[in-house]
Amino acid sequence: MANWKKIGTGVAVLAVIAAAGAGGWAWTKLNTSRSSVADDSVALADFKADPEAAARGEYVMRLGDCAACHTKGQGDFAGGYEIHTPFGMLVSSNITPDRETGIGAMTERDFFDAMRHGRGSEGMLYPAMPYTDYAKLSDADMHDLWAYMSTVVPVSNEIDENGGMAFPYNIRLAMAGWNMLFFDNSGFSPDASQSAEWNRGAYIVEGPGHCSACHTPRNALGAEIGAAHMQGAEVDGWHAPEITSNPHVGLGGSSLEDVARYLQTGSDGVAFAAGPMAEAVEDSTQYLSDEDAMAVATYLMSLPGSEARASAPMALNASAALAYEVNCSACHGLEGEGIDGLAPGFAGNGALLSDSTTNPVRALLTGARAAHTGVLPTGAGMPSFAWKMNDAQIAEVLDFIRNSWGNSAAPVKVEDVASLREALGAREKIAAPE
Amino acid sequence: MNRREALFSLGAAAASTGLAATGRAAEIKGMPEATQMSADHLPVPARQGGAFRVLTDETDQKTLAAVFDRLIPADGNGPSATEAGCLDFVDDQLSRDYGAGKALYLEGPLNRENEEAIMGSPQFLATPRERYAAGLKALDAYAQKTDGAAFHALSPGRIDEILTGLEAGEIDLGADVNGQAFFELMLQNVREGYLADPLYGGNRDMAGWKMIGFPGARYDYRPYIDRRGEDLALAPVSLIPQD
Repeated sequence: MANWKKIGTGVAVLAVIAAAGAGGWAWTKLNTSRSSVADDSVALADFKADPEAAARGEYVMRLGDCAACHTKGQGDFAGGYEIHTPFGMLVSSNITPDRETGIGAMTERDFFDAMRHGRGSEGMLYPAMPYTDYAKLSDADMHDLWAYMSTVVPVSNEIDENGGMAFPYNIRLAMAGWNMLFFDNSGFSPDASQSAEWNRGAYIVEGPGHCSACHTPRNALGAEIGAAHMQGAEVDGWHAPEITSNPHVGLGGSSLEDVARYLQTGSDGVAFAAGPMAEAVEDSTQYLSDEDAMAVATYLMSLPGSEARASAPMALNASAALAYEVNCSACHGLEGEGIDGLAPGFAGNGALLSDSTTNPVRALLTGARAAHTGVLPTGAGMPSFAWKMNDAQIAEVLDFIRNSWGNSAAPVKVEDVASLREALGAREKIAAPE
Repeated sequence: MNRREALFSLGAAAASTGLAATGRAAEIKGMPEATQMSADHLPVPARQGGAFRVLTDETDQKTLAAVFDRLIPADGNGPSATEAGCLDFVDDQLSRDYGAGKALYLEGPLNRENEEAIMGSPQFLATPRERYAAGLKALDAYAQKTDGAAFHALSPGRIDEILTGLEAGEIDLGADVNGQAFFELMLQNVREGYLADPLYGGNRDMAGWKMIGFPGARYDYRPYIDRRGEDLALAPVSLIPQD
């Protein structure tokens, strides 16, 4: 579901770099001493949690969205989620307190080392596990999360996490090299020039929330590109849109309340979470407190945006307007206004206007399902139009949507529709008699 | 079987059906993710490639074309039935479940007495495919007998006479063919071919829809609902638009 799940990449090269890596530099990257605040004597399976700490820890678990990868039909937190990478398959681990197959034998210190430093009980973790972000988790949140994990029901479920990785990518030590190059091992340090709310948002976004794992593009070795922080990235056949202050394709045109509402309900009244973001909203962000949701919005909307700007809208064919009216307007509105709580609006929906057309093309080819949350339980479905529209027709109606009602965006490439149709295994348009 | 036994066996059947259904039911958890239509629910377009599959006999084709083009002739309102593809439509339908009578009960009644009176219309054990085969042959044989010519070679006026006679039940096409019912079958099918979505082979270029002003497979008419008494000039739209 998320691109950081695919990042097992480029690690063989790094085994060599790991061997070459030297001295104090390596020590900084691999140093776990700040986690010595954790107890190293009691195993998770034996730990008796303070109920209040465990309750706070459940909220930290929601912020970190542990269930997204560690719960997959084999029991809560029992692992088994398959993560396909170009270098083989990783499987998410069993993190229940089961002593033999889970993390029941870990001490709190072992837990801190894994979460914040990528040092697992079986060796280095692959950065599919976002320890690169969890490194920012505070000691207090880590203590609470540990308390929560001790209350999870142990499930016996043996997982071979990297048995599906081909040699030499199955050598966990290679991650030491990756860490030396890319891992910022430091904790969260507040910016004194910013408000407490901004700092709380920064902590959630860059730490447990690990938003950048999807929303920041990565280099060839699977590390985030800092200069394009949160400026949008392709993730497993979806586009994680820009979530910065950019007014055209980012959040700059929204209010703080809109962004908070999106996180807590799955929709701000115009855009809807679907695909991987729907999962993130369902499992994680809908649990954000009002204060935290506003803090996250405050921080995101302060981030520097990309260069993407509105251009002159492209010229449209009359057939495009007819196709929109006939196929789309019943739910999305004649003026692209959508239906609040049910169907996305298009007018002023920045996520639609990105140069990446993956999401809208994908929605037409396979359909999409909105997040279903406590506030918006419907989870309305967008049906597939693959059976009645060919690649050119899909491009044409999207050009209309992306260039009407004040929107402007680059033309949709017919060949992009064709390649996505093939990649997604969407059916061809029905061949009707001429 | 007396009434008591019949009721008892019905009850047993209902009970066993219920049990079987329970055994097969799948529990759905959470939200179904799939938003693609299942292949079973998609429209099935007419086969393309020209050749007839059921109406393979050339005389049968010509006979049916002659009937269709008198029922819907070309005029100022639109093309004829065959120009609009109605022969292709009927041939395609006859080659599928419709032609095989898949939706019909074809086991026959236990007692034929009063059957038509009870059902309100003639009943057939033959499939539509078989009724066309027998009916078209009988129609051509009738023309040969009365006029000494093939049915399709008759003048439009003479064809109209025969069709009018069939409709009124005044022409006997022999013991195997109910002429009146066969006329109604052809009339029903030619209308379907002329007005069904073009994806099924007829209504070519949406000529039938243009003729009657039907706007086609549009999803929503709310933008027009207040514009009463006005010619909206809505272009018809096929379910599978060509452009």
